Amino acid sequence: MSEVALRGSEGSNSRVVGGAPQRTALRRWIADAPAAYLLLLPVLILFGFAVLYPLVQTIVLSLWDIKGLGKPKFIGLGNFVALVQDANFRQAATTTLLWTLCTTAISVGAGWGIALLCALAPRQTLVPRVIIFAAFGVSEAVIGYVWLQVYRGDTAGLLNAILSGAGLGNLAHAWLGDAKTAIWCLIAAYSWAQTGLPLLVIFAATQAISRNVLEAAYVDGATPMNMMRHIIAPLSMPGVRVALFINLLGSLRAFDTIYVLTGGGPVRSTETIGYFMFRESFTQFKLGYGAAATLILLAAVLIVSIPAILQRTKSTT
Amino acid sequence: MNGLGDAGMRRRTMLAVFAASMLLSAAPVSAQDVSGDLVLLDWASGSEQEMIKALEDGFTKAYPNVHFKEINLTVQGDARGAIRAALQSGEKADLFINTWPAFRKELADAGLLRDLTSLWDSAKIGDNLSDSWKALGTTDGKLYGITYTYGDRSGMFYKTATMKKSGIDAQPKTWDEFVANFKKLNDAGITPIAIGAKYWSHAEWFESLYEHLNGVEKAADLAAHKIPWTDDSVKNTLRKFAEMLKAGCCGTAESMLANDWDTASDMVFVQGTAGYQIIGMWNNDRARNVDKLKEGEDYSLQQFPAMGAGHDDVSSVDSKEFSAFTDSANPAAADAFLAWVTTADAANIVARAGLASPSNKVDPSLYGPVMRIAAGAVSSSKVQFVLGDLLPGDLVDEYRVQLQKFLQDPSDATIDSVTQAIEAKAATFD
Amino acid sequence: MIGKSPRWIPYFTWLLAIVWVIPLVGIVVTSIRPESDTILGWWRLDHVELTLRAWFEVWGKYKLAEGFWVTLELAGVATLGTMILTPAAAYAFQFLRFPFRRTLLVIIINAFVLPAQVVVIPLFTLWRQMGLIDNVLAVLIPYVGLSFAWSIYLVKNFLEDFPRELVEASRIDGCGAIRSFLYVVLPNSLSPIFAVGILQFLFCWNSLLIPLLFMRTQLPLPVVFAQISGMYDANWDLRAVAAIVTTSVPLLVFLIFQRQFAGGSVATSGSKE
Repeated sequence: MSEVALRGSEGSNSRVVGGAPQRTALRRWIADAPAAYLLLLPVLILFGFAVLYPLVQTIVLSLWDIKGLGKPKFIGLGNFVALVQDANFRQAATTTLLWTLCTTAISVGAGWGIALLCALAPRQTLVPRVIIFAAFGVSEAVIGYVWLQVYRGDTAGLLNAILSGAGLGNLAHAWLGDAKTAIWCLIAAYSWAQTGLPLLVIFAATQAISRNVLEAAYVDGATPMNMMRHIIAPLSMPGVRVALFINLLGSLRAFDTIYVLTGGGPVRSTETIGYFMFRESFTQFKLGYGAAATLILLAAVLIVSIPAILQRTKSTT
Repeated sequence: MNGLGDAGMRRRTMLAVFAASMLLSAAPVSAQDVSGDLVLLDWASGSEQEMIKALEDGFTKAYPNVHFKEINLTVQGDARGAIRAALQSGEKADLFINTWPAFRKELADAGLLRDLTSLWDSAKIGDNLSDSWKALGTTDGKLYGITYTYGDRSGMFYKTATMKKSGIDAQPKTWDEFVANFKKLNDAGITPIAIGAKYWSHAEWFESLYEHLNGVEKAADLAAHKIPWTDDSVKNTLRKFAEMLKAGCCGTAESMLANDWDTASDMVFVQGTAGYQIIGMWNNDRARNVDKLKEGEDYSLQQFPAMGAGHDDVSSVDSKEFSAFTDSANPAAADAFLAWVTTADAANIVARAGLASPSNKVDPSLYGPVMRIAAGAVSSSKVQFVLGDLLPGDLVDEYRVQLQKFLQDPSDATIDSVTQAIEAKAATFD
Repeated sequence: MIGKSPRWIPYFTWLLAIVWVIPLVGIVVTSIRPESDTILGWWRLDHVELTLRAWFEVWGKYKLAEGFWVTLELAGVATLGTMILTPAAAYAFQFLRFPFRRTLLVIIINAFVLPAQVVVIPLFTLWRQMGLIDNVLAVLIPYVGLSFAWSIYLVKNFLEDFPRELVEASRIDGCGAIRSFLYVVLPNSLSPIFAVGILQFLFCWNSLLIPLLFMRTQLPLPVVFAQISGMYDANWDLRAVAAIVTTSVPLLVFLIFQRQFAGGSVATSGSKE
């Protein structure tokens, strides 16, 4: 009985006839294991080196008190306790929340909108796409320098020069020196640069849409704008998800732009957790403290992302 | 730029190196004795890097059997991160450029630097460098660094045209004259002082004020945390600073906080919208090479005004020194270099590069007019290293950020909270 | 696009692009004007003098040519590596059934949170112990290893909309898991693969921190250019040249690769919908 059942269920969706559904499920579960692991082996090896080993080291480091090149002291969870009590860390956390939400919303939103428009006229919009992507391709430090010239406080700054030229000279401001405006200027500069990625990825998604679907809609009398709203936009969701993921997590790691534009100031008002981590780990060489901060950040992200990932992967089993 | 390519480094045990260096430093070395590879851990860049190369070439001329090599570190921002990483990775070098006394202490405490006290005596470095430079290179009673260049951090740069425009004929010598001039400058539409408070250069004013009001010994005590940051000396300095701010010296807090030292420099030299700036001597290079101004004619330097508290012969300084590593393959050559770098040849290379040399043997005619003023002022002062390079670890960050907070609101209440915050941080280092 | 697209779209996007490009124009202008002219802003017309001095100086003073080839090699190999390995992995996660599938996926994707600076210091010690400092592997392994966090996520997302029936049909027809990947999934997933390629090339090309610490003799362009901005020398004009040279190659790659997915050339035409 079980032999027939097993043979019958091999590689097809047919139901098991009488008996041993668990064994079949197990069989199915590991059916592809050899192939899967073969495909994944190089990935796992490289990943192990590049990520897992440093992660383990980070966990180890977070348990020590390290100041510069002096002798490290084992302090167990001392770093974590200190972090939670550190007002700067808490301030960085709230700043990061604002920073991440705003830059991601703006860059992904703008990238999505522009990608949808470009999808309707791919060839004619090539140059604009290249330009917007170029802003993404420039390194973070250069972005910082370029926007520094825009935001410079006196009339030597492009923004102030434009305002004065337009007769709005009284709005001219030391944008980066004012704790109220500095963070928004930073968000604008960073979003300007980051829009290129959602644009690329979402546009690629739109170009992967089957022509059949679009042709069928055309035959049914849909206008391009209709197609965009009802077909292209929904089908671009894979790209949107990816863009959200990359931009959201990428914004957590922003450093150079912040360093060049405000140095985390004024008075730490633009210091994000990514900046905090870099400062503690790299500049101050408090490796244990920086490692603990990283782990807290990782935990925060895990809490949010695990349910999301599990939910998506459930549908493919 | 040479990289460290071949495996020409021979490694000895620490003990053997110690023994060897003790022996070698006891006997004078001649140019022929010293040979082999000499490795410098070099993180300089731009025009400073060119000067280092010139020093290396000069040394190899005097000691032809030595082959100078470099481990070149490309650094971003604070170089210490990259240097620590290099050292931890096992990079081996004989010599090293240092500009932070705090870093010197860190390395010395970790046993990485060689004690040069005996070298000072045996190579008679004291003939070329005064004892105040020896003191500057000393940590915990031991000499670790031979200073090869320094900068005056109590000099105020100004542009002659701006002064003329505001009707200031003679540069102020006393504090009261200085502050009185603010009105003339403001009336001419010029911000009297350009302070770049974005990162660190606002601390220059605090430090020069402190030293002039309280003396360098007290400043040294503060840096070593022998007196707390909540001490009256600190609060009085901040109150004086607040006076200066209220007298209309510096524009709005936002404009100070938005600017780095180079923007402030532009305000003084290029736009002519500001009167004075206290910043290091690299600004001299910037004025000459980037802004294309004539040293001494278009711009000049005025030393910090006298405050009449009995401490007017002081200067805040920065410096760069060469240090020797304990785990070094060629200590003989390293010692020879350290001794040579204070001689006339080396000093003149430094001077020709537009930097100041602490050596007595330097030819002062090589200095430009502004350099001469700075060198003269420092040589006749008691000196104190800038706190930004001296304070341990992230106390520096806290110090700078709290000063930013002070600039936003220079009231007495802020002075109290700011000093408390710095003190709380400093206490964690004891 | 099928049918006539609204005429205002190209105009609108061009307008957007023109505003978008202003800061970038600044870089180009800064590179061809003397530094003293642009110090108060590259748009200033007080004194207009065009000069290629910065371009020549950068070429002569810094190891530009060597840096160029090194960067090309590093970014190229890393990109190939990612483009080959990622689709295979994404396919496995999406269509195959095996133990620990979801655990592995969660671990790999969440690795994206780890910033490079956290990864770099432990790797430094490891490479030193293995004698890999100044070896291209020390850089390539992190480049490819760190890319999986986002590249697998990207390709897998695309594959979620890939018709399962096609894959299952091929399995029923006797294709093994791997052949099914090579002949069915891969040819129809060029769009996300090239997107991954463009991004990976860009990230590796611009990468500074990793080669800064791990390489001593063969220096890629970003490291060479970090040497340009001295501690106190501004060198804005030289830095502008550096930025242009550094950015132009990834843009070129973008132009070349994006043809692979522009114009709707990849269609899953095999399914009977």
